[in-house]
Amino acid sequence: MSDRQIPKSQKCIAVLWPSFLVAIIATGLFFSAFDPEELYPFGEDTGVSRLGIYSIGFLCFWLISTISGIGTLYFAITNCMARDRDNPGQ
Amino acid sequence: MADANPQTPVGDGHADDIVVNSLYAKAAKIYPREVHGLFARLRVLGVLGLLGIYYITPWLQWDGHQALLLDLPARKFHIFFITLWPQDFIYLAVLLIISGLTLFFVTALAGRVWCGYACPQTVWTEAFTWIERKVEGDRMRQQKLDAQPMNVRKFRIKATKHLLWAAFAGWTGYTFVGYFTPIIELGQRTLTFDLGPWETFWVIFYGFATYGNAGWMREQVCKYMCPYARFQGAMFDRDTLIVSYIEARGEPRGSRKRSVDPGALGLGDCIDCTICVQVCPTGIDIRDGLQYECIACSACIDACDDVMEKMGYEKGLIKYTTENSMEGKQTHIVRPRIVVYALILAGIMGLFAYSFSTRVALGLDVIRDRNQLYRETEEGLIENVYILKVLNMDDVAHRFNLQVSGVPGMQMYMDLPEIRVASGDVLELPVRLRVDEAELHARSTHIRFDLVAEDDDKLAAAEEARFLGPQ
Repeated sequence: MSDRQIPKSQKCIAVLWPSFLVAIIATGLFFSAFDPEELYPFGEDTGVSRLGIYSIGFLCFWLISTISGIGTLYFAITNCMARDRDNPGQ
Repeated sequence: MADANPQTPVGDGHADDIVVNSLYAKAAKIYPREVHGLFARLRVLGVLGLLGIYYITPWLQWDGHQALLLDLPARKFHIFFITLWPQDFIYLAVLLIISGLTLFFVTALAGRVWCGYACPQTVWTEAFTWIERKVEGDRMRQQKLDAQPMNVRKFRIKATKHLLWAAFAGWTGYTFVGYFTPIIELGQRTLTFDLGPWETFWVIFYGFATYGNAGWMREQVCKYMCPYARFQGAMFDRDTLIVSYIEARGEPRGSRKRSVDPGALGLGDCIDCTICVQVCPTGIDIRDGLQYECIACSACIDACDDVMEKMGYEKGLIKYTTENSMEGKQTHIVRPRIVVYALILAGIMGLFAYSFSTRVALGLDVIRDRNQLYRETEEGLIENVYILKVLNMDDVAHRFNLQVSGVPGMQMYMDLPEIRVASGDVLELPVRLRVDEAELHARSTHIRFDLVAEDDDKLAAAEEARFLGPQ
């Protein structure tokens, strides 16, 4: 199975959707433990509302898990391609 | 009966390829045909009920506040007469576990009823399909319209549909945000164009997700994105309720005139009208057997029963049944799997109910002053300083009595005349303790703070701390 056989849209969903779910869980856990108003990232007062911090936090978690998802997809595909190259008869 | 292509060589590698290719094949658009019947009525009932609950709930009031408000900005959840704080996170987590186990239990018993009747994807898709049908007409008209090149009429119809979809989706997004921000206030601020940037963002985000999932993605969400669809098979056994075509009765399929006795033609009861395929929202043929795409919506049951009635045959060529029942064996409702799921579920629910009903709406934290370990006062006493954090999670304000124990003759000094905490407030209370050095027998002595509400003995909390001395 080479990566060209999987449409781009499928790849996007395969990465974005699970990381979205993970981001929801991470946001819930993180902000249950930490109040945004008691957080001073890099020693600065953010001046952003709680709702804003939650949203930014969620988007950051989503971004991080998306990067992880892209990594997984990349390794899965390159492994498959290497296997195909090593066993051209398959 | 899966029709294997006789031209396809069957080998290990190739078998994999075929599956993968068909999974990721470009999906043809599905035009589900409208169904009428018992199960269609049940689903409409479910859809109306659930949509009603979703759109009406945020508008309900309870005791002067929104009845269900997950107030993220204020970090507290109002659920009718209950107020939950971040400390109560565990209850929400357990509630999620209970929901998950309930889903497992129901799946083992009745198959994918969740998918067919209650899943938000099904519910909103049903609503979007209804709008589509009202604007574009039935299945045939929709197919005809899509086959046409763009013209004024087609543009007008499509634009109307998308506008209605967008309005419905927008209202859905607005309602969603209304669960997290007071919805009435949200409405007032919308009217005066005073909506915050993040509220606007989430209304659009959720609205867009609804529009995309229910308008465009539909069955593809179930097929490619739903985790439950992937693992629900693990909960199935031979006694689980499934939607199935009775192959023994239907085959060999074939068309015939109403007046002809199928027996004489050597045919089964299936007249191969393909209506069961046309009504399927996921576009499968139920006659090919149990497939993971089947969301058990039972549209094919209604459709086939209708045809059977017209033909004068017995209903139930496609029906709710179990694998055991199809093989002529008995179906067992009570079986080890069900008993185990039920016991686990009942156990966790019991623990949850007990723990929740004995929940004390008072939080007490004791933090030692970090600046100095201890201080010697002018009278020669040893003094330690603590900061007490008192969190009143009750709905009303309370006055509290504080007592400390652990060292004989310990004196307590507070800067405040009384400990009064409003509902939902955290009070930071500095407390100084003084003891005679003779009473201390080690560098560190365990002490204990006891906090009790003046008007309610049960509203009490205790916290241990250490008293440090010179020895």
